[in-house]
Amino acid sequence: MTHTPDTLYQQAGNEFAPAIARLARAVERDADKARDLEQEIHCALWTSFQRFNGDCALKTWVYRVAHNVAADHIAKAVRGPKKVPLEEIDALPAAANPESEAAEALVLAQVGELIRSLPPLDAQTIVLWLEGESAAAISDITGLSAGAVSVRVHRIKTLLADHFEMGEPT
Amino acid sequence: MTNTPFTQWKLTGGEASFSSPSECSKRASKFERTIHRRNLIEYAAGVFIAALMGASGVGAFIKGEALIGASLLITVLGVFVVMWGLHKRGSNLQRHPEDPCLVHLRRQYERQFEALRAVPLWYIGPLVPGVTLLYLAVTARVAETIGWIDALGGIASSAGITFGIFGLVALANWFAARSLKQKIDEIDALA
Repeated sequence: MTHTPDTLYQQAGNEFAPAIARLARAVERDADKARDLEQEIHCALWTSFQRFNGDCALKTWVYRVAHNVAADHIAKAVRGPKKVPLEEIDALPAAANPESEAAEALVLAQVGELIRSLPPLDAQTIVLWLEGESAAAISDITGLSAGAVSVRVHRIKTLLADHFEMGEPT
Repeated sequence: MTNTPFTQWKLTGGEASFSSPSECSKRASKFERTIHRRNLIEYAAGVFIAALMGASGVGAFIKGEALIGASLLITVLGVFVVMWGLHKRGSNLQRHPEDPCLVHLRRQYERQFEALRAVPLWYIGPLVPGVTLLYLAVTARVAETIGWIDALGGIASSAGITFGIFGLVALANWFAARSLKQKIDEIDALA
């Protein structure tokens, strides 16, 4: 079956629009800028499908484009606080909005703060893990070795488990 | 707490949908217009500086100050070389965001590293001959009336500041390039 760029774009939209929205909101705190980044990712995908030749799965292609565009967006943004690698973080950072009363909103806000404080490859790993991707898929998307992915995922699990007393994700 | 971050994460964003292709077309056109406008402003600024210095150079020739005129014209040539370098570095970026994130990130760092490392060559270097000759020409002209020692003493501080700024720019870029090289090495270790 032959896929045209338009059908690939439509299929990607049906399957991954929510994940891309979550990625944009995770890396960009400002809601308007996050919406703009989301659209930038859509358009980068729309352009990129001209080059899609089926060498990798659609999911891998979509996540690679989305995460790379998001990383470029962060790099272009005004220089923020210094990025701290995952292995140097002992506890989740405080949420930006201390008045947030809903515990669940606070949890996501804290995870968002963590993601925004990490270097690109660490942030990409945590977002993909939160999306439920396997270590092998994360390795395929990011290009990190299996060992590097598993070290990061383990670190994230430990951080979150310490903080939220959560169960092991599948 | 009922939901872990893991499950809560996927509860958000459900309402999202992709932008229409026509919106992407509009966005691409807007982006191209912005780049075009930015390039025009940069070229206009370069041409303005070149025209100003070129006119001063021609004026110096007319007044019989050949060495000063030549130094200003060489500086104008240097400005054009810098503009060409900026254009070349800005326009040769091939975007392939579908590459693995690590490859993409490394490519961005590598590109910035090469540009910063070569700053003395393409950003400062082209201006040095003209500026140096200008200082020599002015010093020689002043030395005709007050002697070389006083002329050199008079020009030393301004020449020191000029070349000091060149040196600081080169040094700052060298430090930035070194930091990028460290990041590239760290990325390579993760592959």
